[in-house]
Amino acid sequence: MNNRSQNTAPPLLKVDGLAVDYATSAISLRAINDVSFELRAGEAVALVGESGSGKTTTAMAIAGLLSPNARVVGGEVRYRGRPLPIDDDALMRPHRWSETSVIFQGAMNALNPVHRIVNQIAEPCILHGMSRGEALARATELLALVGIPADRCSAYPHQLSGGMRQRVMIAMALACRPSIVIGDEPTTALDVINQAQVLKLLVDLRTRFNLALILITHDLSVVAESCDRVMIMYSGRIVEDGTVAEIFAEPKHPYTRLLIDSIPTPGEGKRMLRPIPGDPPTLVKRPSGCAFHPRCPSAMEICTTEAPHLKQFGKGRVACHLHDSLPAADKVSANA
Amino acid sequence: MPDNAELLRLENLQVRFPMQSSAIDSILGRPKRVVRAVDGIDLNIARGEIVALVGESGSGKTTVGRIITKLVQPTGGRLLFDGTDMTMAHGVSGLRPYRHRVQMIFQDAYQALNPRHTVFDAVAEPLRSLGLVENHDQLTERVSESLSAAGLKPPEEFFARFPHELSGGQRQRVVVAGALGVRPELIVADEPVSMLDVSIRAQLLQALIDLREKYSLALLFITHDLPLAWLIADRIAVMYLGKVVEMGSADDITLKASHPYTLALRDATPKLHNEAGRGGVQALQGEVPSAARVPSGCRFHPRCPLAFERCRVEEPPAIAVGPQHTSACWLAK
Amino acid sequence: MSKINVLSRSRLRARAISGFLRHFIGHGGAQLGLVCLGFFLAVAAMPDTLVGPLETAITATGDFLAPPSRLHYLGTDEVGRDVLNLVVHGARISLTIALLATVISLVVGTTVGITAGYFGGLADVCLMRVTDFFFVVPSFVLALVITPVALEAMGAGGEILGFRPSLFVIIVVIGLTSWAFVARVIRSQTLSLKERTFIDRARVAGSSNTSIMLRHILPNLVPQVAANGALVVANAIYIETSLSFLGLGDPLQPSWGTLLSLAQRSGAASVGAWWYLGAPGVCVLTVSLAFVLIGNALDDTFNPRRRVIP
Repeated sequence: MNNRSQNTAPPLLKVDGLAVDYATSAISLRAINDVSFELRAGEAVALVGESGSGKTTTAMAIAGLLSPNARVVGGEVRYRGRPLPIDDDALMRPHRWSETSVIFQGAMNALNPVHRIVNQIAEPCILHGMSRGEALARATELLALVGIPADRCSAYPHQLSGGMRQRVMIAMALACRPSIVIGDEPTTALDVINQAQVLKLLVDLRTRFNLALILITHDLSVVAESCDRVMIMYSGRIVEDGTVAEIFAEPKHPYTRLLIDSIPTPGEGKRMLRPIPGDPPTLVKRPSGCAFHPRCPSAMEICTTEAPHLKQFGKGRVACHLHDSLPAADKVSANA
Repeated sequence: MPDNAELLRLENLQVRFPMQSSAIDSILGRPKRVVRAVDGIDLNIARGEIVALVGESGSGKTTVGRIITKLVQPTGGRLLFDGTDMTMAHGVSGLRPYRHRVQMIFQDAYQALNPRHTVFDAVAEPLRSLGLVENHDQLTERVSESLSAAGLKPPEEFFARFPHELSGGQRQRVVVAGALGVRPELIVADEPVSMLDVSIRAQLLQALIDLREKYSLALLFITHDLPLAWLIADRIAVMYLGKVVEMGSADDITLKASHPYTLALRDATPKLHNEAGRGGVQALQGEVPSAARVPSGCRFHPRCPLAFERCRVEEPPAIAVGPQHTSACWLAK
Repeated sequence: MSKINVLSRSRLRARAISGFLRHFIGHGGAQLGLVCLGFFLAVAAMPDTLVGPLETAITATGDFLAPPSRLHYLGTDEVGRDVLNLVVHGARISLTIALLATVISLVVGTTVGITAGYFGGLADVCLMRVTDFFFVVPSFVLALVITPVALEAMGAGGEILGFRPSLFVIIVVIGLTSWAFVARVIRSQTLSLKERTFIDRARVAGSSNTSIMLRHILPNLVPQVAANGALVVANAIYIETSLSFLGLGDPLQPSWGTLLSLAQRSGAASVGAWWYLGAPGVCVLTVSLAFVLIGNALDDTFNPRRRVIP
């Protein structure tokens, strides 16, 4: 599953030191800082974090879909070794949909209410050079792929249920055969049964087309069954990165551990709540040093002054001073 | 913890309304279709008890909460509160004593607070409207008390803030403080944490549990999240398409579930450790049918993996499967 | 403690208002509109100091239809009155009529709109049919019918609330014909506000319908009322001008419309007395434009989508 040490080909996607600011009329706020990771073909990575953690900004930056008041102030994104012009809307256009595509969160807002769904899916295909007939055939095929019966293809978005609309969004994301699909909270608005169905669909499609998947979510529990790797973000930085098995079995960062503890599992242990104290930081008011230190049960002196760097630790990476003091023998040198 | 005095009782409660029929339907004389949003609910809540109402969207769970808070008028059945029939009570003054005892917490705190009112105004509103305070000093005292009880300390710091100046968790606490201010006996909480960040959910739930212990407050907790219901509730009622299909203690429902729908809900919940051989479990297919087209017989039969002939024609009653544990399934025993 | 609370509350409100004003003043259209409006309001506030008392045919000092000169900056009319004097005094009448008519229109329109939107059902149907009626009644026709009747009933010499009857009728007619537009806008806004959860919360809190309408819905309508109010004023100035031009104004209290009417009747256009027609015309245009600009600026400023902070 995770074969980063053996693979020598350049990664599908390489994000290096990415930093994005949001500018308002008066001030400029750092949304993400020094975000670096690699994504291999067919790999499924989850970006987990709370609102304001920068997970959506990271993903939208990769897709070149940042809002107009956002600015890339540092770092770069490389797709198969070539840098992507992520801050240029016009230059990014040929890359969108055909290399990187996005499943948006609010399907009702992302779909145009006055067009039939089959035409909406055909649209990006036509823009990428298909004839109308081909595009419609492709759209019908895609809708069948995501489990929408043929007789519903010409429905309008409001005639479909929430789960169905989310499937349409998935079909749309696959329209131009991308190699990377970014799911921006694709199941958050759905209830458990629809969520399970959509997640299963994503996992199936991913194996079938060897898609690389970036799943953005605030819910750690949906990650376990759909992803290989997890990156936990907090206050604009990646704080931990590792395989699903590693992270759930042995979280390194205190924040990750508290997040996992807060997920209730019926029948396991006592019915007890384990709240994480304090509020998540906002962009305006970010704590000094490690951003998590005011809420961290194991905060030390150094955490209040110095921000820890994301370092290779075992097979994964972690940004925490607790793991700086450990003997170097535990650390496996980075292959990047 | 709950004592056994019954506080709220729903008897065969129904909300049905005719669907707007098209002109062609009326010309052809087709019968008007009836939407059965809530289709005969029996539920009781004891003093100081936490009952969770679990179901998919479209199951009618929110409507039940809105009936109890008298935002929706039931079309049939009875709503008894502390022995008094409140089914037909209506009007601002007629409901005043009831509102004093039953309050509500809403899913989206941002929507539930008037953007032009300060925190003080928002928390003070029920106290003023229900005439529970005599002067401004008393009002200030009650507002501070509720804000602290909801975990917003020091309360004075929040008085003058507007909702957009608060974080999501703080906003939801303001809504909780508003409901708490009148010292109700029952709070209906409609998905109170689903819009909150994971790391602050537990804080808010803890605040609710503390309040229950402090004021012996009963809570109807509406959610679609079964593990969450298990975590906080004493009893869980599972709703499907306007009806309670299974009811029992939190452990009964999550660990010894008997109704196939409850099992499907449980299996659909993502698990942290998927090594426990979950490969064979099939996600439930299809979607909740429209409340205007409730299937015949057992309403779950079109999606039920275990459905047989009897399920198609005859609706199962609530069958006792254990002490305090009932399941509306022909296979239950 | 409660004193501190009141203090910080007023400070917060002040901060919110100053923030709003900064945005509003920063708007180019608003600046132009405010400057124009300020100028005309100042003129309307002290006409006697600026140009002396209103001239009549008896106190007229100039030649007949004399072109602009050192003596009369905007020339004179057909009986020798100074046009500048007339226009300045006209500003007061025109603005008073327009603003009072707008107040009537906003009060009626908002009340009807909120009531219809909030209660819905039969109340909505009845009120909106009445609104539709006033929506389609042409103000000219209504004014033409009402004015003579009112003058007959009240007598031309009397005063109602300090206004001569003809002015009062014009104010009422403009108010009555322009509220329907406001009511429609307010109703649709109320319909969407009514669905917001905070209305449910207010109901669970035991608030009465009146209290919900006044304390929850009305404050959230301020942007719509303000922005549309400015547009209603602009419209009211036009209607007033047109009504006066048709001869429904009061010749003893000449508004800009009355001046235009007098100019037209004296044949100013055919003898080339452009100053007589032009002066009131430009004033009408400028003031209406100022209100339209302010209305649009208010709309932009209140529109929350323009002030998104991530």
